[in-house]
Amino acid sequence: MGKIGLLPVKDNRPIQTLRELFVRWLESGRVSALLVPAVSPAGIAAPVLWSDPEKASQIYPLLPVMGINSAGVVAEIAADKAEGSRLGVVLRPCELRAVVELIKLQQIARDNLVLIGVDCAGTYKPTTLVNELKSDAGELENWITGFLTAQDRYLKDERLRRACQLCEFPVPLVYDVALGFLGVNPKEQLLIQSASELGDMLLSEVNISPVAAVPAERQVYLDHFIQNRQEQAVRMIADFDRTALGPEKLVRYFAHCINCHNCMKVCPVCYCRECFFDSEVLKRDLDGYIRVSRRKGLNRMPADTLLFHLTRMNHMMTSCVQCGICEDSCPAGIGLSVMFRKVSREAQAAFEYLSGRSLEEPLPLTTFREDEFRQIGED
Amino acid sequence: MSFEPKIVGFLCNWCTYAGADLAGTSRLQYPPNMRPIRVMCSGAVDSVYILRALLEGADGVFIGGCHPGDCHYVSGNYKTRRRMVLFNSIMRALGLDEGRVLLRWISAAEGKKFADTVTEMTERLRQLGPSPFRKLWEV
Repeated sequence: MGKIGLLPVKDNRPIQTLRELFVRWLESGRVSALLVPAVSPAGIAAPVLWSDPEKASQIYPLLPVMGINSAGVVAEIAADKAEGSRLGVVLRPCELRAVVELIKLQQIARDNLVLIGVDCAGTYKPTTLVNELKSDAGELENWITGFLTAQDRYLKDERLRRACQLCEFPVPLVYDVALGFLGVNPKEQLLIQSASELGDMLLSEVNISPVAAVPAERQVYLDHFIQNRQEQAVRMIADFDRTALGPEKLVRYFAHCINCHNCMKVCPVCYCRECFFDSEVLKRDLDGYIRVSRRKGLNRMPADTLLFHLTRMNHMMTSCVQCGICEDSCPAGIGLSVMFRKVSREAQAAFEYLSGRSLEEPLPLTTFREDEFRQIGED
Repeated sequence: MSFEPKIVGFLCNWCTYAGADLAGTSRLQYPPNMRPIRVMCSGAVDSVYILRALLEGADGVFIGGCHPGDCHYVSGNYKTRRRMVLFNSIMRALGLDEGRVLLRWISAAEGKKFADTVTEMTERLRQLGPSPFRKLWEV
């Protein structure tokens, strides 16, 4: 179990090569359909559920655009075990990590999925690229290929989503099949790896040149890439600390929250059917609100916005994958991505946990040991 | 008038609440600053209750549960302990870790420990002063 190979790229077209790879799996029946990034003839970038090989020209695997975290879509369409259908999901590392968390939260049935992970060097918001996503298919494919081969340019591009600028997970962690372009010269070849029997089977259907290990130059490039991103994370978190730490600054940081709950709705791992904050629990009647107003003199409306954010952090930080889609959805422009990156990684570190790293690692709040954290609760 | 902290206390029905009862029936003196709320298990205290108390003007929050190994529901307090680790790490990451939230294991036999704990916590909060969220109410 676990093969590594190089997939030859024809005519300097990695995107077309991946389309052909996926068509092969669709035609062999290994997957019934694929959830994969696409761009419509009208220039609309979005994930699609793709089953017809004839439509391959609209499929753009490795498209560096992220409007949603597709793990949420997977949870919506593949929550329950299905007979006979197998869904291939082509996902970025952060999306795969969210899928892993959702499988552990019993929101996705693993049995129906083929996890196809792809390298990610960073993504743009769809709105950032509104003029670049040309409807001309050839131009678009060239643009993406240019991005994939840009090497260090995406380490400095300030138009990338902020969550991507400090992301140190360019490669998938849990997958059946992983497809890599970083550090392998994607105009000539792509790296293909399997990590399960199912993945081995998928690889055996494709003409690849097997290699013994991940090419050394890829590892060297990934180390360089990750180190750059980590240094960027230190800088961005230091900026965050200066503007947000402590009660006064934190209240100001969240001051313009309009209580829309978008951050919760788009969050892939925020999985409750009904959020506590959408329930009636915290609502008062008019007498109640006036009683609070009299106690405080005046009461900010809508109420409980800071309570919402702090509670959401307590509920979700152990599964947060730092995808930053919450920030993109915030109409008030609150800098959630850097905050969540900092808070979630520190919270997860307290339990030696990393979200999405493994299907076997139990969720921190579903397990315990008798002989841990002994100082908590003692004098 | 000098500052008197308000403490919201979540006391587990089986241990700490009974310990508080014992402190009372033993006529132990301790400051009247804690408003006790009886809960069936310390593991039932979601962070939203702690946070709401703090944001709505409590100066401190106390959570009392059975000693590890003694939980009436076998493992509720172990889960409380993990949740406190999470809560503390989040508060620390946001610069809000002022020691205003205290978890203590106090059994039904430890009336004295309950009285001492409330005394100590009240004293510490008197030193610390009012919760900063009180004056930030208007924002």
